Amino acid sequence: MSLVDLATTRKPWIVRHRLLLLGVLAAVLFPFVIAIVVDGAPISAVWENADGNAKFLQGLAIEVVVLALYAMSYDLVLGVSGLLSFGHAMFFAVGAYSLGILLKSAGLGLVPSLLIVMGIAVLVALLFAVVLPRVKGIGFALVTLGLASVTGIIISSSEFKDYTGADVGLQGVPSPDWLNPTDQRFRFYLVSMGVLVLVYLLYQRLVDSPTGKVLVAVRDNEDRALMLGYSTFWYKTFALIVASMTAALAGSLHTLYQPIVTPEVAGLGFTVAALLMILIGGVGTVSGAIVGAAVFRLTEFYLDRWFEGLSNLLIGAGYILLVLFLPYGIVGTWRTRSNRIGEGRSRLARLLSGSKGE
Amino acid sequence: MTTATAKPSLGDRWSKAWTRDRRRIIVAAVVAALLVIGLGGLDPEDWFVTIMRGLATGAITFLVASGLSLILGLMDVLNLAHGELFMLGAYLGWTAYIRPDTTVDLLAPILITIAPFALWALWRPLGRKVAALGSRWAGWLLVAVGLGGWWWAWRLFPLAIWDPSVYAESPITFSLAFDIGTLVPLPAGTFGGPALIAVLAMLVAASIAAVGLVSFNPTGSPRPSAKGIGASIVALAAGLSILAWREGLVEGLFAMNPTLRFFLAGIVSVIVISAIGAGVEVALIRPLYDRPIYQLMITLGFGFILIELVREVWGRPEFTMPKPPAFNGIGEGCPGQGIGDLFSGCSTIEMFGARIRTYNELFIVGIGIIVLVGVSLLIKRTRIGMVIRAGVQDRHMVEALGVNVRVVFMGVFAMGAGLAALGGVLAGPSIGLSPEMGGRLLLSALIALAIGGLTSFPGAAVGAVLVGILQQIIIRYGQTGIPLPWLEEPFKPSPPLVPASTVLLMIVILLVLPNGLLGKAEH
Repeated sequence: MSLVDLATTRKPWIVRHRLLLLGVLAAVLFPFVIAIVVDGAPISAVWENADGNAKFLQGLAIEVVVLALYAMSYDLVLGVSGLLSFGHAMFFAVGAYSLGILLKSAGLGLVPSLLIVMGIAVLVALLFAVVLPRVKGIGFALVTLGLASVTGIIISSSEFKDYTGADVGLQGVPSPDWLNPTDQRFRFYLVSMGVLVLVYLLYQRLVDSPTGKVLVAVRDNEDRALMLGYSTFWYKTFALIVASMTAALAGSLHTLYQPIVTPEVAGLGFTVAALLMILIGGVGTVSGAIVGAAVFRLTEFYLDRWFEGLSNLLIGAGYILLVLFLPYGIVGTWRTRSNRIGEGRSRLARLLSGSKGE
Repeated sequence: MTTATAKPSLGDRWSKAWTRDRRRIIVAAVVAALLVIGLGGLDPEDWFVTIMRGLATGAITFLVASGLSLILGLMDVLNLAHGELFMLGAYLGWTAYIRPDTTVDLLAPILITIAPFALWALWRPLGRKVAALGSRWAGWLLVAVGLGGWWWAWRLFPLAIWDPSVYAESPITFSLAFDIGTLVPLPAGTFGGPALIAVLAMLVAASIAAVGLVSFNPTGSPRPSAKGIGASIVALAAGLSILAWREGLVEGLFAMNPTLRFFLAGIVSVIVISAIGAGVEVALIRPLYDRPIYQLMITLGFGFILIELVREVWGRPEFTMPKPPAFNGIGEGCPGQGIGDLFSGCSTIEMFGARIRTYNELFIVGIGIIVLVGVSLLIKRTRIGMVIRAGVQDRHMVEALGVNVRVVFMGVFAMGAGLAALGGVLAGPSIGLSPEMGGRLLLSALIALAIGGLTSFPGAAVGAVLVGILQQIIIRYGQTGIPLPWLEEPFKPSPPLVPASTVLLMIVILLVLPNGLLGKAEH
């Protein structure tokens, strides 16, 4: 039984999502609290986007949202469907760069650009799907790694300097006035949070749906799923398409928020970052991706501030300890624990009510 | 006398191979034809140089790919830290080669640390008491305390080391000094406290860590074997005598023939990296044999740590490793004529109307061939090789037959790491040292493996040579340009296209032949 199944108990919607609702409430209140407590500014500072800790921390939160969306999409591919892809960064990079190029070089508006980006994302996912039936396991990892590194090479090659900015990175992407990350930080913050919540609910629904169950079956034993009559190829392709669109969305937010998009987002290092995030949160537990992204970005940021050169070393050591000692991640471990607690509680209740069990 | 069975004729065997492996043969023929066409577009005098350079790149790639392939075949672990072991091997080789004084200073504390660990069995009674406390955390606590104490003792030891943040004392400067012959020993460091206390503290700290580790599996006799006691005494004695006679040892190493020192550095690096490889297998891979994806992740994390460590210790900038002087001579009597002048001390040799660099193109290729033959013989002709081959085919069966697979796993991991380190030391003088060199080479090695067949040892060699020659052809075209009919200027592939071309070759070959050119189907 997988961790995903363990957690799905049928209770009213509002009870099941109480943590999410609390999280959304906290996220909305967060900038105000920071503005009042840390900055000592009036609450109007938040929607007037005055400089200060509130604005800065909103920016950090937006970065977390981008990473969370990206990590969640990787969790769908690796954690839920069990596809060992090492080219996930390609999904993100294609989204980030194509939105940037459409806005900057083609001069399109935000909405049509986003629609085109989603179309491109589907095409990229189909490219991965073409490879699917041919190579399995490590072969698939290698081919996807290859595809991603070719993308990275094309992005950073001097031949397309006018569009991609080559080694320097893509800069000067015009963002629409109503969603400018500096002038309208609070609005950008709310929009990105909204996107994250929507995508999260969608993913929860997807994993709980019959399609999601088939994906889990593919991960656990593909031959068996095949024998039961599921055309696993189409399920995997579907997962890839959804993941690619999500990652492209994350990439688009990244382009809109960051003043410069570097070719590093297409590298193996960025795929590894996604791996790290879902490992921190818990592989195969969609919500773990959000927790993982937050922990990852914040540790990275504060370690960098406190230890400077040594921060990456500490991150690497932490990563190894995590794999060895907390393999199910924060959310995974918490779920198994809380299940055990729930079991104990129900046993106690049975005992107290006098029935001696079965 | 009549022969009862006739050997199948060549024609028969060929037709059988054709029906069985038609697709492989066609792909191999197409790849060969492409390479010939690629070479044909170059000037005839470039052919030999390009092929030799391709073989040299292939030899380095092969040294990494072969270990990767053995480990993958035997234990189903894709060791993503293999490139970083290659890189660390190069850095360690550089250290032993250019800074023997630092190496000597490092050796003493390491040998002293080994001494208590060699007496493994002696700690079992204590380990049992710790285990009886009932929590594994007690053991981990001891390990942590031991590590802390060790670090404190380590800080007391004298260490004459470079400083990457000061240009005049950085590895870059020392490499240059070696080349112009002005390399001198660094001033010797002094103990940060009484020497006796430092040594004792290190022994005690290592013993505490050893007790902690033993407590995880304390069963067995509490009496150390004669070998263990011997090793412990030798390590301690060696460590102490290095401390006592440091000056003489350093002077001796600096006075040594630099080419000889290069070989010595290679041996040191291979031994150390093999030990690290064995340690990685025991400490990181073994606990995770039933969780394959986590093994992949942990090797990735370990590689990441190694890169950061190297950046911390040797500094971020790239620097060169000087060539051994026996392959770096110029002037009188150079370039040499023909292969016979390989050891004449010239840096280049005239062959077939082309100038070949003795180190880059001949020495490296030679070592690559020796390793290929040696490891092939080891695998084909020895008992260990038989166990490895059987293990690649069916690990569980070999285990059931009573072979201690664990030890074989550790040995193969150590051997693979050692081969990577050898590759690193060899590659250092030709491609330079940088923390990122491992990642680049790992990509090449993975591509070579995918092309040749993931778990096939000859496949690793074929794939590596193919990748090497293809890369060199593209690099050469980057200089001369390809005249294309629809372009006015000849098309010059930019440097990033070199890896891209090999990646494309890999993707195409994997799509046609999912098991590579020489690999066998998984099921």
